[in-house]
Amino acid sequence: MLILAIESATNQIGCAIGGPDGILASAHTIRPRHHAESLAPQIRFTADQAGIGMADIDVIAVDVGPGLFTGLRVGITTAMAFAWALGKPVAAFTSLELLAAAVLAGDTDILSVVDARRGEVFHARFRPTATGPERLGEPAVSLPADLAAEIVTESSEVVLVGDGARAHIDHFVDIGCPIAPRPFDLPSARTLVTMAASHPHRLMDPSEVSPLYLREPDAKAKFGNSPGGPP
Amino acid sequence: MSRRILGIETSCDETAAAVVEDGQKVLSSVVSSQVEIHGRFGGVVPEVASRAHVEAVLPVVGEALAVAEMEGPDLDAIAVTHGPGLIGALLVGVSAAKALSLAWDVPLLGVNHLEAHLYAAFLEEPDLEMPLVVLLVSGGHTMLIVMDGHLQYRVLGSTLDDAAGEAFDKVARHVGLGYPGGPIIDRLAAQGNRDAIRFPRAMMADGWDFSFSGVKTSVVNHMRHHPDTPVEDLAASFQEAVADVLVTKARRAAAEVGARGICLAGGVAANSRLRERLREGCAADGLRSFLPSREMCTDNAAMVAAVAWHRLAADGPSRLDLGAFPSLPMPDE
Ligand SMILES: [Zn+2]
Repeated sequence: MLILAIESATNQIGCAIGGPDGILASAHTIRPRHHAESLAPQIRFTADQAGIGMADIDVIAVDVGPGLFTGLRVGITTAMAFAWALGKPVAAFTSLELLAAAVLAGDTDILSVVDARRGEVFHARFRPTATGPERLGEPAVSLPADLAAEIVTESSEVVLVGDGARAHIDHFVDIGCPIAPRPFDLPSARTLVTMAASHPHRLMDPSEVSPLYLREPDAKAKFGNSPGGPP
Repeated sequence: MSRRILGIETSCDETAAAVVEDGQKVLSSVVSSQVEIHGRFGGVVPEVASRAHVEAVLPVVGEALAVAEMEGPDLDAIAVTHGPGLIGALLVGVSAAKALSLAWDVPLLGVNHLEAHLYAAFLEEPDLEMPLVVLLVSGGHTMLIVMDGHLQYRVLGSTLDDAAGEAFDKVARHVGLGYPGGPIIDRLAAQGNRDAIRFPRAMMADGWDFSFSGVKTSVVNHMRHHPDTPVEDLAASFQEAVADVLVTKARRAAAEVGARGICLAGGVAANSRLRERLREGCAADGLRSFLPSREMCTDNAAMVAAVAWHRLAADGPSRLDLGAFPSLPMPDE
């Protein structure tokens, strides 16, 4: 089973190709606001490095967020369109479980914290199991101070991971929470391949994939830049 | 050999896909409008539009291919609007087009939305003679363009403030008529007296540029001081002022450049009084008037595929690192 993984939920754009036996090729770049420019060339580059053609791909794995809305849409639209065009299924994972999966070790809970901008963070808590991280409760968006207070209340040991924890590190250092090292701050396409390979039951039709925004859109109409539509 | 191009359009609040053969023959044209979603906000909400495009883009592309009885890999190119427009909305179409291009190994082409609007006319009237004056009027743009030949344009003037369609939307919103303003004002105006109020015609006599924020303010002020004015008269008088400026300038431009005709493009081109005034004006000047159907005036993907056929022959395909540009200008040569 050959998996193409597409990751663009944060400032990092990534692509990896591999399967149950490991990664054949991968590429990651950090080019904020250039997700759309970077992603497709990266897919072609990775496929060339792996020595495969597009038709060889069996599954498209994608990070459905939460994260940067525009980045998410670029990644998800690319994954959906690619899978639909080739008639292949999609394996969808959240950015939060990808962060947890990358640092899972021992039996300590992992709290994944993604930067939600505007002074807030997306987060979810995971418990290590034999098959990977198992989520406790629903993903949510909170103020870092409120999340820190919640951790204190829970009192069980937890390791933090993610760029949201990094961005608001003061809140978490104050309560003595360890934070996973910087290389684990952003979800990676390599983890996506590993997760998709070990969760074959998570396959879905491309039409069923939808972004996990966790935040309602700002309901403010924009005038003056709409190029068309009815007058 | 004939070439079939898939067009994809997601620059504002319509998700559209179409298959066009040789820039001419529309094999399919599918448009999924979000107008009802945005209605409750009184205008297009960018984040709402982007989210809706993600849901709609593949079903719309699928239907366009099915109606055209085409398989993706048999396409000769995939063309997508990459500007101008709402950045988040554009990126959905661009991302989908690139993925399809990669998966099917079909050339990709980024298309300018404004240029596409010009080519909507050629789908219905392939023999339009040039030079041609095009009045491109929509919710986001008001431009007076001379088309000297295929892919050869001169932008004579554009709006200095509000676009014509934007003025319709804002007036409708201020007077409490609802959204979208264009069709509502058009409908009300049919019952009103267009000479009831004399609204200002800004910059009618000088230059090629337009300004519509003054007439909008006048309408709002008039309603404040004369709340009993029938909205039908208000709508008709406002619409007359806008149509008057647009048609007067377009006729003057046609005379100046020796054009054979004047063509309307963009969503406001669906306005019935504007169409009537242009038809009358052209008849008086011995010019051809071309008024595309409503489907071709508003955003669609057939016009994207149509211009792509010309652009592909002239410039070749785009690279896979194609970006989206919210302020992409009209190519002016
Ligand atoms: Zn338009």
